[in-house]
Amino acid sequence: MSKIFSKLGLAITFSPTGKALLKEVQRLQKLFDAELVLIHVGEKNYDDEAKLNTLISQAGIDLQSLTIVWASGDPGNAIIRSSREAGVDLLVAGALEKENFMRYYIGSVARKIMREAASSTLILTSPAEQAPRFKRFFVTTDYEPADEKTVTKSFQFALLENAEEFVLIRDFNFPGLSSTIIGSGSAEETQRMRETWVAEEEERMKLYLRELELTGLPVKIKCLYGKEGWEAGNYARENRADLFAVSGPAKKLKFMDRLFHNKIEYLFENLPTNLLIIR
Amino acid sequence: MASEHVVVFLLSISVMLFTAKLFGELFNRIKQPAIVGEIFAGIILGPTVLGMISPETFNFLFPQNTEVKVALDGITSLAVIMLLLVSGIEVDLGIVLKQGKTAVTTGVMGIIFPFLTGFGFSYLFPHHMGIQDESMRFVFALFMGTALSISALPVIAKTLMDLKIFNTQIGYIIISAAMFNDLIGWLIFSIILGMIGGELHGLGFGETITLTLVFAAITLLFVRRLIHKILPWVQKNLSFPGGVLNLILILGFLGAAFTEFIGIHAIFGAFIIGIAAGDSAHLSERTREVIHQFITNIFAPLFFVSIGLTVNFIANFNLPLVLIILALSFAGKVIGCGLGAYWTGMSKNESIAIGFGMNSRGTMEIILGLLALQFGLIHESVFVALVIMALFTSIVSAPLMSHFLKGKEGRSFIDLLSPELISFTSFKNKEEVISYLINSLSKIPDNEKDFVFDKVMKREKLISTGIANHLAIPHAKIKIKKPVAAVAVNEYGINFEAEDKFDSRIIILLLTPEDDMQIQLKLLSEIAGKFKNRERVEQLFSFKDKKEFLKNLSEL
Repeated sequence: MSKIFSKLGLAITFSPTGKALLKEVQRLQKLFDAELVLIHVGEKNYDDEAKLNTLISQAGIDLQSLTIVWASGDPGNAIIRSSREAGVDLLVAGALEKENFMRYYIGSVARKIMREAASSTLILTSPAEQAPRFKRFFVTTDYEPADEKTVTKSFQFALLENAEEFVLIRDFNFPGLSSTIIGSGSAEETQRMRETWVAEEEERMKLYLRELELTGLPVKIKCLYGKEGWEAGNYARENRADLFAVSGPAKKLKFMDRLFHNKIEYLFENLPTNLLIIR
Repeated sequence: MASEHVVVFLLSISVMLFTAKLFGELFNRIKQPAIVGEIFAGIILGPTVLGMISPETFNFLFPQNTEVKVALDGITSLAVIMLLLVSGIEVDLGIVLKQGKTAVTTGVMGIIFPFLTGFGFSYLFPHHMGIQDESMRFVFALFMGTALSISALPVIAKTLMDLKIFNTQIGYIIISAAMFNDLIGWLIFSIILGMIGGELHGLGFGETITLTLVFAAITLLFVRRLIHKILPWVQKNLSFPGGVLNLILILGFLGAAFTEFIGIHAIFGAFIIGIAAGDSAHLSERTREVIHQFITNIFAPLFFVSIGLTVNFIANFNLPLVLIILALSFAGKVIGCGLGAYWTGMSKNESIAIGFGMNSRGTMEIILGLLALQFGLIHESVFVALVIMALFTSIVSAPLMSHFLKGKEGRSFIDLLSPELISFTSFKNKEEVISYLINSLSKIPDNEKDFVFDKVMKREKLISTGIANHLAIPHAKIKIKKPVAAVAVNEYGINFEAEDKFDSRIIILLLTPEDDMQIQLKLLSEIAGKFKNRERVEQLFSFKDKKEFLKNLSEL
């Protein structure tokens, strides 16, 4: 079997979580048997270089086992550009679970990476120095071709992690349903429709699983009716997922996608747990 | 209000609600929208019927020029605001963006074409369209253009639900396009009202439009986020559903008051607040339904009955005008939306069906007409024609859509089959039957049949495709544009390792486009869903005629 990820990139700053992020990425590097590139945005000078080397040593990482890229410019753009140039196929970064009111519109470095990075991205919400393995994997699918890759890659990841749980989630809704109540419908009828659709979707999920041929770990399926992205995120949060995987956006996300929620924007806005975006 | 007026007012409300419910239910029983019955109830209670038969009773129940009328008008205005509020709640601009090109093109064409048709005809032939005031020719033409371009989401949604296509691609496109249509339609109408009303409030047209856009931007950018933050607190700490209902209504009325203040009608404020509130993921389906029920059972019937009370439908019935408006409305929407859908890759029949689906006007047209009537923009005969058009388009939408969707290729598994694709066979193993079925498919070129066979067999070796109840669905994804299928009814059972251990006697070969997992899953689940009842499946074995077999298969 080919490697899931062959080159990891870590966006590193001198923040309090820097050491924990290094520990996490070191564990993943070993797990995937991958190369490691550290990307730091800032001017390379003696003080900062020494500071970064100290941080790396404190994390117990051999300086010879990694490459350091010093990038300049707007942090978000610089990280994305440097990781692309370095051939990184999994970019790791830390992020706060929630963004504040204005940040949501203005955007932050982490959200920019989530939205625009060319490679797969792993966003760690609460990196820990113990770097525990991910035990509970939750993955969402819309049956799109990109989702097949997301599910299979996440599944391979889960197998490597010797995960305890792998849950495949399908959340969907058909907006406008409630309005049928004004158009002579009834709440009972809409409820019945929703139940029928969820049951149909569950059957479809079973067939989907057969097509994907995932073996080695039992897969649970969960169909949820509600706002796409929001429902799956909430379900993962409530069930204490360690990792939530989703396909990267099919097109470049714009301001309008934030204004009128794109599915993935619900997840970016309020990260359910550590988020793996497969591209 | 004097005590005797209070008594009459309460009596009027009771009679209106009772008659509305009676006719609403009656029309529901004959599979027609309840609003048709409710408007019919108004016509019976109003000057058209009761006013003719017993003017004394009519004048007693609905006295003109009294405080009772003021109170009833107040309720009607509230109802209109609330209908627009819930209409906004259902607008999900996220799905319009998600649906992308097809929904937006269909929505845009569903506005531009009917608008130009209505505007052009009304401007060129204003007297044929029953213009009220010649000096208002431009505004009148603008209104008629808007009136013909609006769609009614609730009626459309119910039609899609009844046709069982709500959760299909076509249903999704129609709903998205209708939402987009609603937003643009109400924006244009508000601008028209601003052109008339702004001056009344001492604001110039430019100022009114600027304020409107600022209001919409602030509401969608910030108030929307604020509602999203507040809703969980309200749901947690206040009683359900009172707390949420209260919050939505308060914000809706505040928005309505603001837009009324700046010279745009109150409905626009309510509509935009509705969009902002409806966007919140915290507003659950259950809460939405409670809001809809509250308005549907009390305010909507009162509003629809009041339509019949407002106008004498017989005295103001103008057949040529009705026919012109009907012709323009059908031509505008069906051609406009149809072209929009066709240009983005839908088939001819699908495009026409989408056009008829979008042609339902229902509630929204009537609200629009009533407001124009109140503003003195249109004559009562135009209003009557618009109401008739709204009802007629809503009633004929379902049968016309159904007609054009019938036999649509790829719509369901059965549509993929024809008697030539059914075979009665006597094979002994899966290789033979699969090879035979692939060879029976004329759409697969001969030089590719071996490759397809290998692909299907590779799939079989990984996980066998026996489902249950004597059914097996060997399948593969290959380079084709549309799915194809062939069926073998085999004399002997063949082991496809079905879960229920039964050998398979009905073998359905299914080949789907390699980049479309969705269509494969849709068809697989549809076929599996058909074969749930073993007894009925076993009855299929007795048929020896291909047409008869296909007919019974479709009825499973």
